[in-house]
Amino acid sequence: MVLEATMICIDNSEWMRNGDYTPTRFQAQADAVNLICGAKTQSNPENTVGVLTMAGKGVRVLVTPTSDLGKILACMHGLEIGGEMNLAAGIQVAQLALKHRQNKKQQQRIIVFAGSPVKYDKKVLETIGRKLKKNSVALDIVDFGEGDDGKPEKLEALLSAVNNNDSSHIIHVPPGPNALSDVLISTPVFTGDGEGGSGFAAAAAAAAAAGGVSGFDFGVDPNLDPELALALRVSMEEERARQEAAAKRAAEEAARQEKGGEQPSNSQDTTMTEHKTITAPEAENKKNDLMDDETALLEQALAMSMDDPRTSNSMGDTDMSEATTEDQDLAFALQMSVQDNPKDSASQTEMNKVLGDQSFVSSILASLPGVDPNDPSVKDLLASLQGQSEAEQKNDDKPPNEDK
Amino acid sequence: MSVESATAIQRNQVDLLDFVDWSGVECLNQNSSHSLVNALKQGYREDEGLHLESDADEQLLIYIPFTQVIKLHSFLMKGPEDEGPKTVKLFANKEHMGFSNVSDFPPSDSAVLSLDNLKGKPFTVKYVKFQSVRSLTIFIEDNQCGGDVTKVQKIVLYGTTVETTDMKALKKIEDH
Repeated sequence: MVLEATMICIDNSEWMRNGDYTPTRFQAQADAVNLICGAKTQSNPENTVGVLTMAGKGVRVLVTPTSDLGKILACMHGLEIGGEMNLAAGIQVAQLALKHRQNKKQQQRIIVFAGSPVKYDKKVLETIGRKLKKNSVALDIVDFGEGDDGKPEKLEALLSAVNNNDSSHIIHVPPGPNALSDVLISTPVFTGDGEGGSGFAAAAAAAAAAGGVSGFDFGVDPNLDPELALALRVSMEEERARQEAAAKRAAEEAARQEKGGEQPSNSQDTTMTEHKTITAPEAENKKNDLMDDETALLEQALAMSMDDPRTSNSMGDTDMSEATTEDQDLAFALQMSVQDNPKDSASQTEMNKVLGDQSFVSSILASLPGVDPNDPSVKDLLASLQGQSEAEQKNDDKPPNEDK
Repeated sequence: MSVESATAIQRNQVDLLDFVDWSGVECLNQNSSHSLVNALKQGYREDEGLHLESDADEQLLIYIPFTQVIKLHSFLMKGPEDEGPKTVKLFANKEHMGFSNVSDFPPSDSAVLSLDNLKGKPFTVKYVKFQSVRSLTIFIEDNQCGGDVTKVQKIVLYGTTVETTDMKALKKIEDH
């Protein structure tokens, strides 16, 4: 998150027509420039980036340091290739442009793309480097394209003259199938000395990987699309919970076969309401809430089933009714399930019968045309009924040998 | 107001260290392991082992803003005999200067430090030029021996304050 003003020096000399970087050296360079601009402005919104070309008719500043990404991308269009790169002049003009930056509190940085041969000798480059260091300007050099004439050594000498506390870097990119931008993403040019930028770099890496090796669980980057990533994660968990429940239920059924025939039907009813729970709500939030409720309810129900089948069933129904008072369909389904267990209701205590009636009552209330379930008075009524049922639920929580 | 300097007694001159706005202090071409703090801050500057050193060449550009408007009377610069500063130029109220524009305008005052100065004799500046100073830029052009590295052991500024509101000291009045 360091506050920085950056000048990017682009090489648009004749050497950039070469195709050893896909699609051409110039295009690879342009892509890298776009990514760098994005990374810088994202790591700190007050960062500014400027662009100049070093070849062509002469050193020309295309855009002075600005935080407007659109301006920078627009100026990359219609650039012509030609001429020879003038490295010394390019760096000096970049330094001048940085000196006249609007926000003097920004650190100064120059990023140079050196693709064509360097015609200056080491001494000149070292003097330039020292001048940059004296004015506390950091320099990043991307050495690609032509690699002869002692170019790497010259650039290394320039770097050592500039380097102050490892704020300057040089990256040698040999020609190959990997795009220039991909190679640069993992370097300090993007990651900004190890801090900031890494979030963007990771996102760019995910995008560039094109579904190959993705660091993220679902092929969707949380940075790019957090809602989608969240939705995917929630549905995965829900699916997993459902499968676990199904597996447990299957085990239960096998165990319960010995006890009686009513147990499987009870669990099936639970399943029925469960499915309804999944299909009915549409809003994601509501879905999430219900998922949480449902998972909790399932676990409760299953835990209780180990102790006492009957109590667990009634508990399950009670919990369901409380959780879904708002939804008409669910209340109705629950009411149905309550009615489908005549044996159980007969064995239930009087209190539980009232509860069963309560869910019925609330569903009736909800279905009445003139009654708005969200009406405060109705809500108060339901709350008072629920208060009773909650007190009873607490009684249920205690060991089953309790008289009610 | 109390007297600070031991070698020369100045009437009513205080050490302006208390009025330095540390958030804006800058030094160009300093060696990062021997930074301006060593020469300027209380305690550091008394330590003989800590000094300010130049990096790429012998020049140093120090920018010191103040929290209040001050009048500068004199300054003291201590350093080693050979690598200590020689030609020093002072610019009042010029912000964000660079090495390229030090020659663009004449300095408010310039000093050629003698060995006495380097031992601790303060240099009296042209007081009339420093009557209302918000920020001070010190440009050390070269050093005594002409080498590549300039070392400064201690920098002290003497002067008085003009009554200015220190915005940071303003406190909100509590509502009754």
